[in-house]
Amino acid sequence: MDPSAEGIAYPPTTFVVQPDRVAAFREVFGQTEGVPPTFLTVPEFATFPQILDDPRLGLDFSRVLHGSQEYDYRRPIREGETIWVHARIETIRHKGGNGFMTVVMEMVDGDGELVALARSTMIERGPDP
Amino acid sequence: MTSFFDALEVGAEIPTLSRVVVPEDIATYADASGDHNVLHLDDDAARSAGFDGIIAHGMFTMGHMAACVVTWAGPGAQVRRIVATFRSSVSMGDVIVSGGRIRALDAVARTATIDTWVTVDRDGGTEFPVKRGEAVVYFP
Repeated sequence: MDPSAEGIAYPPTTFVVQPDRVAAFREVFGQTEGVPPTFLTVPEFATFPQILDDPRLGLDFSRVLHGSQEYDYRRPIREGETIWVHARIETIRHKGGNGFMTVVMEMVDGDGELVALARSTMIERGPDP
Repeated sequence: MTSFFDALEVGAEIPTLSRVVVPEDIATYADASGDHNVLHLDDDAARSAGFDGIIAHGMFTMGHMAACVVTWAGPGAQVRRIVATFRSSVSMGDVIVSGGRIRALDAVARTATIDTWVTVDRDGGTEFPVKRGEAVVYFP
């Protein structure tokens, strides 16, 4: 991956927190109420394609592993609400033959208030020795 | 009456939560999350990538870790922050066990910070699909 892609910000995408999608998530994890804390992976995944397909990054997705994940909530997510996902490439580093890319997504509500922040580190494995 | 939060103590462990990971769970999770990476759905593709067969999504394992925290915290509590670093992969048939220990309590903010983890016992040893996880929970 190309270090000069660091700092790229993408146009916001919208995401509707559909109740049936939330219910499916609750079902997987055996929860009976609320929006599961890792539900934010759904808007993240809806937004990732524009990043992974960005030719400026030069990413080989077949070599990409999920390294770590952070979610910070300013308030609970509400079923039915629309959120705007603002994604940017925070850092790109190379270490030990592998590439590390951190993507930050700010989830903003219709009033422009920050609802949550998602930070994902993706590892692009280097060529096999 | 002492509230649930007021009775918490630093150093105490939260109850563990276990589940056996089966392909049906992973297929259901793929649909729920939108992550249809073939490593999680196609044994041949996973084997050609060097695994023994399909592996669980890291976010499936983290979702289980979150369920452990939410189950312990109970209705009304809010997860303010949750973090996982993924270490080893999870295969079908593995028993993933999530646990945690209270690291800090903030009586003013009414939050508990918990060190969390997910373990799998395999080949006589213990592996950590998630090591050094963290959760911050607010109790109204």
